Amino acid sequence: MNKKIGFTCAYTPVPLIEAAGFSPFRIFPESKAPDQAGHLLHDNLCPHVKKVLNRALADDLPGLEGMVFINSCDSMRRLADAWHEARPDDRTILLDLPSGINNLSLDFLSKEYERLAKTLFKWNNESFSPEIIPEIKPEIELDKIKDKIATWNLLAASVKKIEEKMSLDYFPGIASALQQIINTAATDSTDKALAMAQKKIEPKEPAKAGKSPVFIFGNLLFDPKVYDLFEEWNVHVTASDFCTTSRFITPVDTRTDNNIFRSLADSYLKQTPCARTMDTAKPGSIAQRIVQRAKESNAKGVIGFILKFCDPYLARIPMIRQALQKESIPFIMLEGDCTMGSMGQQQTRIEAFTEMLGV
Amino acid sequence: MMYEHFDNAVKGITEKLNQDPEGINARKKYALELSKLGKKLYSKDENIAWCGVTAPFDLLGSMGVTSCFVEFVGAILSSTQTAGLFLEEAEDSGFATDSCAYHRAVMGAVLKNAMPEPDFIIGTSSPCTAGLAIVENFANQYKKDFFILNVPQNYTKDAVKFLAAQIEEMTSFVSDHTKRPLSKEKLGIALDYFNRSSQLLKDIYDLAKTKPSPVDNKFLKDFGTVMALLMGTQQGVDICRAFKDELNHRIKTGRHHASKEKIRLMWIQNRIQYPFPINEMLDDLGARLVVDELNDVTWEPMDPDKPFESIAKRMISIPYSMDTSERIRHMQDLALAYRIDGAINPCHWGCRQGTGPRGLISKGLKDINVPVLNLEIDCVDSRNLAKGQIETRVEAFIEMLS
Repeated sequence: MNKKIGFTCAYTPVPLIEAAGFSPFRIFPESKAPDQAGHLLHDNLCPHVKKVLNRALADDLPGLEGMVFINSCDSMRRLADAWHEARPDDRTILLDLPSGINNLSLDFLSKEYERLAKTLFKWNNESFSPEIIPEIKPEIELDKIKDKIATWNLLAASVKKIEEKMSLDYFPGIASALQQIINTAATDSTDKALAMAQKKIEPKEPAKAGKSPVFIFGNLLFDPKVYDLFEEWNVHVTASDFCTTSRFITPVDTRTDNNIFRSLADSYLKQTPCARTMDTAKPGSIAQRIVQRAKESNAKGVIGFILKFCDPYLARIPMIRQALQKESIPFIMLEGDCTMGSMGQQQTRIEAFTEMLGV
Repeated sequence: MMYEHFDNAVKGITEKLNQDPEGINARKKYALELSKLGKKLYSKDENIAWCGVTAPFDLLGSMGVTSCFVEFVGAILSSTQTAGLFLEEAEDSGFATDSCAYHRAVMGAVLKNAMPEPDFIIGTSSPCTAGLAIVENFANQYKKDFFILNVPQNYTKDAVKFLAAQIEEMTSFVSDHTKRPLSKEKLGIALDYFNRSSQLLKDIYDLAKTKPSPVDNKFLKDFGTVMALLMGTQQGVDICRAFKDELNHRIKTGRHHASKEKIRLMWIQNRIQYPFPINEMLDDLGARLVVDELNDVTWEPMDPDKPFESIAKRMISIPYSMDTSERIRHMQDLALAYRIDGAINPCHWGCRQGTGPRGLISKGLKDINVPVLNLEIDCVDSRNLAKGQIETRVEAFIEMLS
């Protein structure tokens, strides 16, 4: 079994982890670990971060060779801070992640990803110095990264195909199966996830009618069982936008730039960003993006599922609501704390919503 | 409404200062300049930029832009007890009550058309994600151009270079809007004012360290954060000089001995903005807030030959740009330099950035034997204030320290 590298944010490029010889292990906030995070961080931080910290404090984690943190939001920054206290012996790296998208940001992020690659190879006792690589004979590490990106891109393409099918028809169980594939990529290996995805491209069961087509978005929704519940509650998930769903499987476009890290930076910063990342040329563009995704996926309504205390999303909900209203797309916003219990409490609201949408 | 508020404040303070032309009156001079800034922001004939807290106000000022961080308005609304109306407006529009009330109040003011329309907006990723999210809402609401300064948390050469390049790019963005190019001469003057103000600030803080301290509980309230708006100007230098003179005068005349200093305290992050008699209460208990966490000069003098790099280094050096271990180290240094007995952390509700690491801060200060009182309070929104509970906890804390 490969040695594992822990991470918590979707801006962490899994191909770099795998190229360095590790398995990725995204630490999901699913745990029965006692609630101890409040000793280190304030209770008003998002439940994602607090539950991940609870896992760290309770040693509810597999053996980790290191942790990758991303300075993506205040809560993630605070998690990185608290980690040193919770697990002082862990090797950690914190990458700065620009909030705006422009050339300077992309150049900077490419250097940050390069720093990550160097650190990961070092952690696995392998040297890595891409700046001295002659163009004619690229070093083996760069080839490893390119190979892993190629597999990752195959996975992204397969996930896209599954999503395209989901947007056209309701296939029972496919949303949950897709989530399992994505979770495998996050916590085990891209190869395994790819094998699973290729089997699922053609659904085993025929399409069925009778569910309300809904686009769902938010910060984090990783439990495959949630998607089964949605189906029970009459929801046909046509597409989703969470950092734990297809947004996590960001395809890396390596055609435009010879620098692999710049390609990674371009792909991760530009494609379907988390609410914390902004296109300064189009302030509030997240609202238009959600309208567009809902329309493209043939959804009749939109459900926003946001974790409590998540500033990047909560601050954008009013503009998203306004944009959806303008297009006469029905919308409900649900708040939760990453537990199935909190999702269960939403049953009545979701059923009432789908009843209103009709089939 | 806001223009009238600032206009009346300018008239009232000017009249009082005229009645005492020989007096030092540092706080009044400070309030006058802030009111003048407020008046300019609402006067409609200035180039206005709404900004994040760590924006380079000296540089913007040198380019003829009247700029201010949006949280300043949230604080003013709270201090004038008008925040409630705007908080409700924001909440009715869908802004979560769990969010920071500085931002909710000012967003409510935008929605109620109580804010001057800016020419453009400059967001900063430090101190917080929430602040950046709110200024994006400003840009979306006003349909104005938006520029972000990404402030890295890691203090590395690459990070400084990245931020310096952004600052330089920002000057082009500003010039495009104002149709005025950056004048190196004017920037040089602003940086000179900034350096003189910084030196005076250091002197002020050194004087505040005196035991017993010449500061009273209100004297340097939120001074470091707010002075950033004025430091690149002659007025900024004058205010700093007035504060220094007043502290020297207090030490010389022994005025500060009037209220005996039994306990010396540090205030973490920002103060409570609405009228709440915690300062008087502490005074009655013989406790004095001798230092605020954000009252410090953490930067080297600005180099006029490398203005963007200097400003970048300054922005990264500010305690709330750093990671928490650096912030705690900074607080520990302050605690030792000011010889404090305890610290109060208001734990502003809705603040993930400053309040988030509450437990880490308590532990960090406990490591040097400084107890911390963690309050649960919203520093801007007074609607849910548990006044009695806060008072009891403060009393118990001071009793414990005594």
